[in-house]
Amino acid sequence: MNGLTSAEAVGELRHELRTPLNLIIGYCEMLLEDATEPSQRAGLERALRAGRDILDRVTSALPSSRSEVTGPEIVALFTSLRAPQEEVQAATTGLLGANPDDPQWERDIRRIRAAAERLLTVEVPTRRMTGAATGSFEAPTTELPTAGPPVRPADILVVDDNEDNRAVLERRLGRQGHRVTSATGGRAALELARRDRFDLVLLDVLMPDLDGLAVLEQLKADPGTRDIPVIMISALDDVASVVRCIERGAEDHLPKPFDPVLLRARISACLEKKRLRDVELEYLREVDRVIEAASAVESGSYVVGGLAEVAQRDDALGRLARVFDTMANQVRAREDRLRDQVAELRKEIEAAKGATREETEANAPALPEGQVFAGRYQILEEVGSGGMGMVYRAFDQVLGEQVAIKTLRPELVRDPVAIERFKSEIRLARHISDRHVVRTHDFGDHDGTFYLTMEYVEGITVRQLIDQRGRLGMAATIAIATQLAQSLAVAHGEGVIHRDIKPQNLLLDANGVLKVMDFGVARLGNTSTGLTQAGMLVGTPAYMAPEQIASDNFDARADLYAAGVVLFECLTGRLPFVASTPVGMIAKTMMEPPPVPANLNPEISPALSALVLRLLAKEPAARPASGAELGRLLAELT
Amino acid sequence: MPKILLVEDNEMNRDMLSRRLQRKGYEIGVAVDGAEGVAMALAGGWDLILMDMSLPEIDGWEATRRIREAATGPRVPIIALTAHAMSGDREKAMAAGCDDYDTKPVELDRLLGKIQALLPGNG
Repeated sequence: MNGLTSAEAVGELRHELRTPLNLIIGYCEMLLEDATEPSQRAGLERALRAGRDILDRVTSALPSSRSEVTGPEIVALFTSLRAPQEEVQAATTGLLGANPDDPQWERDIRRIRAAAERLLTVEVPTRRMTGAATGSFEAPTTELPTAGPPVRPADILVVDDNEDNRAVLERRLGRQGHRVTSATGGRAALELARRDRFDLVLLDVLMPDLDGLAVLEQLKADPGTRDIPVIMISALDDVASVVRCIERGAEDHLPKPFDPVLLRARISACLEKKRLRDVELEYLREVDRVIEAASAVESGSYVVGGLAEVAQRDDALGRLARVFDTMANQVRAREDRLRDQVAELRKEIEAAKGATREETEANAPALPEGQVFAGRYQILEEVGSGGMGMVYRAFDQVLGEQVAIKTLRPELVRDPVAIERFKSEIRLARHISDRHVVRTHDFGDHDGTFYLTMEYVEGITVRQLIDQRGRLGMAATIAIATQLAQSLAVAHGEGVIHRDIKPQNLLLDANGVLKVMDFGVARLGNTSTGLTQAGMLVGTPAYMAPEQIASDNFDARADLYAAGVVLFECLTGRLPFVASTPVGMIAKTMMEPPPVPANLNPEISPALSALVLRLLAKEPAARPASGAELGRLLAELT
Repeated sequence: MPKILLVEDNEMNRDMLSRRLQRKGYEIGVAVDGAEGVAMALAGGWDLILMDMSLPEIDGWEATRRIREAATGPRVPIIALTAHAMSGDREKAMAAGCDDYDTKPVELDRLLGKIQALLPGNG
């Protein structure tokens, strides 16, 4: 700390110290003129002695002849004043309330105490530049007890019932560049804090109307004010009082009379903490906005540019917001495209309406309409047949809803080991819950007839659609492919391979929503050749991947091959390989490269054509790895 | 009863000194800053003026100069009061037109002596 080097500056410091001394000594002397009560006289005399002691110290440290005083001298003087200053406070404590009938007595005692308090909050005047007068230049050295790092100007609410304390704080904080608002009591403070925005509250503890602790509690209980840091100011500086303040949420506690250096340091620290907390809160608020935007994208309500404000940040969060907005745009564009594609698909479905039901195979054991099967399923109509058996629409009398019942050919269920394997597959398939998968309900047998029950879907199969339309447009095909990819992604995620993806197993409802049926069912017929022991074809060779035909050792990518065949057929109206016998089909599947779809239908885009060929790759590793990846590749097609 | 004008900006100083002087039998009028001090002094009727030197805006030195320049009629004695306690203050006060000078904290007996000495009829 530097000292003072001009007579004016030293005089200023004297003035600052002697003014409160004038009050201490003057009031004490005046009150002593009237006081008769011995204990009151003793207290006043004790305070007066302490006041004169302070005066002596000030006079000897700063005699009128001195025009310079060093920093260490100032510090030593202030340090030496502490004890007599406390003596004044101690001596007058017992005088408060000693003359209840005389309000002026009470006021005068408080003035003595306020003056004593002010002694140690004295501002050391800024050193005047003396160099200019002599023409020499001295670097300005204004580092004084009240100086410190520059403080960001803040709005500070000072709450103190004592006018002089308020004045001192207002003056001091004002000099540091802060904007100060004062409140004379607890209620006024609460009103101000709720109405205006403050960065900090300096709160006196002992106040008549509503004390500081009560004010603190109310500030902290109100969401509108609880984030404003509060520094308590109190003459009570025992640990218990400080703990009480901190526990109730005060940021800090300053004992009265406060040291100006300490005051400044604590206020700066408090404001800096508040600033950092504000920055952090703002950051979290913006993170919330990004999260909200993510939910909005999920529910389809995201408005493009909704994160524009966050995107202006130049930190990582801003970058995230910008990337997110771009991605959300892409997602939306994809969704728009998919909607158009489904619309195309619906047109195809509309056009195919009136299609005749599939021809039924006469050799299956038929269940007559109206019969109640297995004690609960009333057969409504036969809706199809296939390699596995017959399919009926039925009414489940137990659950009161329509179901589809699929009966299984007796030769498929002859082997108990195969049945067990099939059951475990069905258990897995029952876990798949997706709007693109026909839900499997139950497996049972009744009078030797094994059957599956499943969700009944009113609609047509992709088989019927292709047969009716000859072939489908690009958009409708992509709509089918996208939904098929999603169902495969979900099923494969549950560890279920379909094994028999083909147009007959893909149902389309009137809205163009695709549902895949018979997940896991083909397990029943799985052998190395796709043929049952009786030589009956269960899998469908035209849709079987080479590795599925060749061995038991195949994985989910076989379903992707089958999807490739379905898409090929949708786009071209024909199978990739055509043969007059199953064996011929198998041979071509194993050996021949498929034709290029775009060569068969010039409307097909090269990218889609190439994707279909990738699905039809002989080598599983050359195909998209999963339903999820197929979905991504489809989304990238424009 | 002698009438004294006390020019003092500090409310507590004003309260304390005026009460102490009233107890000693003086009639006290107060002004809270230099401008008011000048106005009240020139309005007349005072036997003596106690002028605090550190006042906001128009300080005690300037107020004294203005009073001395503008005053007509009998010269009212002015005692300068200051807590600055700088050497040379007395000379400066005299040069500005004061008749005496005292420092704060006030020693009442000493101040009363100076007041007595300057009151009309005592000089």
